[in-house]
Amino acid sequence: MTENPFIVSVSDDELNLLQQKLAIANLPDELDDVNWAYGAPLTDIRRLVARWREGFDWRTQEARLNAEMPQFTRDLEVEGFGSLNVHYVHKKSDQEGAIPLLFVHGWPGSFIEARKILPMLTKPPLDQQSFHVVAVSLPGYGFSEAPKKKGFSISQFAEVCHKVMLALGYNEYVTQGGDWGGLITRKMAAMYGGKHIKAWHTNFPVVRPPEFSLNPITLFTSLSMLPALFYLFLFSPTERIALQRTLTVQRTGMAYFQIQATKPQTLGYALADSPVGLLAWIYEKLVAWSDGYKWEDDEVLTWISIYIFSRAGPAASLRIYYEASASGRLLPAIWEWDQLPRIPMGVSYFPGEMLLLPRSWIRRTGNVVFERVHDAGGHFAAHEVPELLVGDVRKMFRAVWGVQY
Amino acid sequence: MAETPFKISIPQALLDRLQQKLALTTLPNELEGSGWDYGVPLADVKRLVARWMDGYDWRHHEAQLNQLPQFTRPIPVDGHGTLDIHYIHQKSEVEGAIPLLFVHGWPGIFLEGSRIVPLLTAKSDDHPSFHVVVLSLPGFGFSEGAKKPGFNIAQYAEIGNKLMLALGYDEYITQGGDWGLAVTRKIAQLYGGKHSKAWHTNMVFGDPPADFDPSTLTSEKQAALARTEGLMKKGMGYRHQQSTKPQTLAYAMTDSPVGLLAWIYEKLVAWTDRYNWTDDEVLTWISIFYFSREGPVGSFRIYYEAMGNETVPMQAFREAPAPEIPLGLSHFPGDLVVVPKSWSRMMGNVVFDSEVHEAGGHFPAYEQPEALAGDLRKMFGKGGPAYGVVPKKLGYRN
Repeated sequence: MTENPFIVSVSDDELNLLQQKLAIANLPDELDDVNWAYGAPLTDIRRLVARWREGFDWRTQEARLNAEMPQFTRDLEVEGFGSLNVHYVHKKSDQEGAIPLLFVHGWPGSFIEARKILPMLTKPPLDQQSFHVVAVSLPGYGFSEAPKKKGFSISQFAEVCHKVMLALGYNEYVTQGGDWGGLITRKMAAMYGGKHIKAWHTNFPVVRPPEFSLNPITLFTSLSMLPALFYLFLFSPTERIALQRTLTVQRTGMAYFQIQATKPQTLGYALADSPVGLLAWIYEKLVAWSDGYKWEDDEVLTWISIYIFSRAGPAASLRIYYEASASGRLLPAIWEWDQLPRIPMGVSYFPGEMLLLPRSWIRRTGNVVFERVHDAGGHFAAHEVPELLVGDVRKMFRAVWGVQY
Repeated sequence: MAETPFKISIPQALLDRLQQKLALTTLPNELEGSGWDYGVPLADVKRLVARWMDGYDWRHHEAQLNQLPQFTRPIPVDGHGTLDIHYIHQKSEVEGAIPLLFVHGWPGIFLEGSRIVPLLTAKSDDHPSFHVVVLSLPGFGFSEGAKKPGFNIAQYAEIGNKLMLALGYDEYITQGGDWGLAVTRKIAQLYGGKHSKAWHTNMVFGDPPADFDPSTLTSEKQAALARTEGLMKKGMGYRHQQSTKPQTLAYAMTDSPVGLLAWIYEKLVAWTDRYNWTDDEVLTWISIFYFSREGPVGSFRIYYEAMGNETVPMQAFREAPAPEIPLGLSHFPGDLVVVPKSWSRMMGNVVFDSEVHEAGGHFPAYEQPEALAGDLRKMFGKGGPAYGVVPKKLGYRN
């Protein structure tokens, strides 16, 4: 199975269609003075649409992406799903002793989340650990093909990511992931840990609390029913603040999850057809889940454009939620005791993350050998605070690579 | 305040813009064999879009809708200024007909109540007649919507009550399902006795008794409960989104006709019972949302205001105290929640319980107008449990 070099090259037709749609966009009105309470504010969306129509230059962004990120595609067989053409970034380090690292994004992310950490990982200062980096576009995202059949779930995403590494000659490697990337790399650690994956690091540490389910009200009530004493004495002040934030997000910010996990096709028609609709849908999370990160309009528009110009279209990116939740509970298998990964696990805690659970809970979910608590950064750590994430990754993997566990 | 006769007249520019958008429609693909599991099937959407672009004639349906006697009038609401409210108003020839306010829900619209109008207003010696008012809730159809936060069920109820009073109906009865249930329940709580004399709903729910043993239910009833559970698990994403981030959703639904079509069509199919929607019916329904005065977002906000800060699930539909005025229930087999009749007595002062109808779902006024009208006639007619509940408006010719 051969590899083909790939450059992002959106057709003029696609660019023109986008502009035609933007030219006849209908915007809703908004209640007075509500800011973010009801969703993405009209002033932001208006401004972004105006920029998209006039000023934002996709060709410049495209050229930059291609210059910064060497990309490829190759066909991979996935058990039960036939062949999928998978898109990925691959950059080797010149330095000796570089560790092969797989970076896995989530939603609403993409391969471009690796753009800032890529040079840091592959060309560090001489005394720091270097890495060969592979950033996969998950099937249905970026320029990877999407599966055509039902049932493509976490195991299949894990299989694809693993096969990319093997195909590139990386029989042994480490992983870094957040959001779905965190859950996929958790699964990979359980499936391929030891023999192939030597250690894994996540910035999205999650665990199934007592009654986690698709119903956020259940989580809310179950967490809030923790006896006050337990709450006060077993969690640090920062953990208490974090739990409050988590409860708020669970109560008011999880509808996207529920609709994507139950009716992705229904939602998909709107997101595929309306660039403005997709912009608002994703932008709300870019802001809500980051930690005061000053998104520039062109950054946001580039991010959303990846979804619009993606090979499979935006609707395909939603299906992972359905497939992973089909039984009505989120990923039941990955919480089972015999599925817990044994290989060394590293965790970075960022305060702006949307799900912040007590560290004592997280330690039960794997062989945690590295923990770092930061006071800045959110859900998109690789993009918001690349130096912090890279610092953790360098430190953790240097310590565990080559050590027999 | 002055009432103005109203005729729907969508500017040609908006019709043209709709066609421009439809011509640029980008459709997603679909997983093999996904059916309805992941949402609306692609084949349905493709067919509906094709019809919308070629064959569907909005002006024809607009003219048909304009055969309904529609009006607007400004109605003040405490703390929210004055809203221009759209409604259907049809008096019966029978002078002593019972004034009835019909309140729709989501994704309902005034059209939902239009089929029971001729049935309820018809004069007969064998059944009572009604003067019928079909309200367009603020933010829906051609009613203005709130401009500030906090327009909650009490405000919708205030609109409904003030409309009836403005029409000269100092005492009246109500009929409603979905949000119409919450609104008419609030009317019954706030204005019951003085103005609202009885209320009727087709959206029936209830809690099991403390000693409930599922195995005692018939297999039919168990199947109904299982169906409800499935709908609650897999079909409530829309509700969660609209009650937490309606504005975020609004951009897609305002800008994409096909997006709006799918979003609403999914419920028109899932929530009705063996109802054979024609494509033109669906397109008329969606078009009303698309061309509505406030746009689709106007219809989402009731969820945010009334459900966004619930401390108890479905608070707006069941918070204490239950209204005291007489309540009538109509049981339709295809609604979202179907419970044994004994469970639903907790909804209020139940004086009328219909038989379980043969067919009908969440929109029975539209799907099974004869059945619903029949229940209202039984409840309020001679010998019925709510006969004479509105003084001097017995519903019959003298």
